[in-house]
Amino acid sequence: MNPREFHFNPADYGVPTREEFVSYRIWDSHFHGFYGSGDPVAQFRANAFYVERMGVERSVSLEIGGTLSDPITPAKHDAAVRTILEEQKDRLSGITPIDPGFPDESCAKMEQWIRNGPCIGIKYVGGNKRGIVCSHPNNDPIIRLAAELEATIYIHTWLKIGGTPRLPGRDNNPGESTPMDVVALAKRFPRVRFICGHSGGDWELGVRAVREQKNVLLEFAGSDPHSGSVDLAVKELGVDRIVWGGHGPSRSYATEYGKVLDADLSRADRMKIFGGNFRQLAAGIFRRKGLKLEL
Amino acid sequence: MATLDRRDFLKASLLAGAAASLAPGPVAAAAAGGAPGIVDTNVNLFQWPFRRLKYADTPALVAKLRRHRVVEAWAGSFEALLQKDMTGVNARLARECREHGGGLLRPFGSVNLAWPDWEEDVRRCHEEFRMPGLRIYPGYQPFDLAHPDFKRLLAVTRERGLVLQIAFGMEDPRVHHPTLQLVPVTVGPLLPALQAEPQARVQLLHFVGRPLAADLRQLSDQTSARFDFSRWEGNGAVGKFTGVAPDAKGSPAVPVDRVLFGSHAPFFPIETAILRLMESPFDAAQLAAMMQGNARQLLGRA
Repeated sequence: MNPREFHFNPADYGVPTREEFVSYRIWDSHFHGFYGSGDPVAQFRANAFYVERMGVERSVSLEIGGTLSDPITPAKHDAAVRTILEEQKDRLSGITPIDPGFPDESCAKMEQWIRNGPCIGIKYVGGNKRGIVCSHPNNDPIIRLAAELEATIYIHTWLKIGGTPRLPGRDNNPGESTPMDVVALAKRFPRVRFICGHSGGDWELGVRAVREQKNVLLEFAGSDPHSGSVDLAVKELGVDRIVWGGHGPSRSYATEYGKVLDADLSRADRMKIFGGNFRQLAAGIFRRKGLKLEL
Repeated sequence: MATLDRRDFLKASLLAGAAASLAPGPVAAAAAGGAPGIVDTNVNLFQWPFRRLKYADTPALVAKLRRHRVVEAWAGSFEALLQKDMTGVNARLARECREHGGGLLRPFGSVNLAWPDWEEDVRRCHEEFRMPGLRIYPGYQPFDLAHPDFKRLLAVTRERGLVLQIAFGMEDPRVHHPTLQLVPVTVGPLLPALQAEPQARVQLLHFVGRPLAADLRQLSDQTSARFDFSRWEGNGAVGKFTGVAPDAKGSPAVPVDRVLFGSHAPFFPIETAILRLMESPFDAAQLAAMMQGNARQLLGRA
């Protein structure tokens, strides 16, 4: 099948064509290309059809080195993934997950995969064995190293309803951070920029939590496409603090594009969210690694 | 680019066996302008109880739908989720569609099986408000599909020739308002209930399912239920569910002719629903069927 072949014209239905999506220069900062429980490489190759069809310029995979459930332990597919990263460096980047329950091991992994490897950043995953959230002091050496490397910092956050009484965040996994944890960490590192992932799951609360902390950016991937969400985030945070992620293949480009297309934005602002802001964030490490980058 | 224009659409509709249900009206009129219009089977009017939605005002919603070539929308009411005076809910829905729907909105009233005398609400929706179908919201409305009156509702709607839409949730429960604790709704009782009423015209809205999940396959294989795709998530999900995607696994969970366009607007962006069709490599006949042929066929039989 040709991923560029369509039997209807999206423009007839008020949405961009593939060519228009390409012109937006979309960088998917939240790509789960290698997250499959069976064969992650096969999953990556299967998903390439949709990457091409929907006009994504660059995908940033968040599970390079180890797995999201066990970031510190090497995975058997690490070598294959590393080869793919090198072969497709013109359209694929990698971020390596860390575990703040193991700060020394996390820093060692950053040395391996970022300073001496292909990755451009770190990811805090949605929980960990020791229940350490990102506001814990364990994180300070990790962030200091990330800042030295100019690595991007993505922190999964959610505010799951639960507990007694029921409140947002009380059903989070052990070690699963909230936007408030990100803010606490960001206050200690005011010169470092952080991505608060998933907009906290509950974007209405996530936006409120981070709005005063200017070195925190917000990313919306991995939650349902609520009309009005990006409008509110832009109003409260400014368009320069929003980055875009696709969260595929478990979420769809349809879902994540829809959030941005729903918002009342100029083309220039749309381009910032779809990729420009992340490129600014990653410019330092691209430069250090000698990678080509057109902002 | 091979696009779906009017000629292709009519040809595709014939191929899909849907042309016979294409009654004159807004659908055909819009098709005359070029690409065929969309029948959106999952829209709700008025205020979402927990947030002011961007397109909560009906004229704004209708204008938005028109910009995306929606020519007909089956409209339920957010008021039906939590209110008790269902006659008032349904009367306001009917009036709103008539006065502000611009000929695009078709009202789908609601009944609440947990409230007394719900059968009178069915009668009023059908006879007084001239609605083509009903939409229920189990969970928000405090009953599940094991409710003893659910089978009676299926029978009543079948007798009256009404479409019955069953909405499986509205919002990710992880972000519900803390005070909201809904009745859990399981799909288990649905299969035998639908098998007992094979002539009932039922559409499941916002039904999660998974392409390989047993419940979806059972409902698809063993009943005549239709589905909207508003909650089919993942890259190429609609293509994977229907066996069209290049990475679809196993036999299709749902045939294309059982899938209806549903956006869940204005809660979800209408753009997302259109892009779900763009993501997968559907041909013109399949697109025509999902955009409107299947919906017209379901309603045409009603």
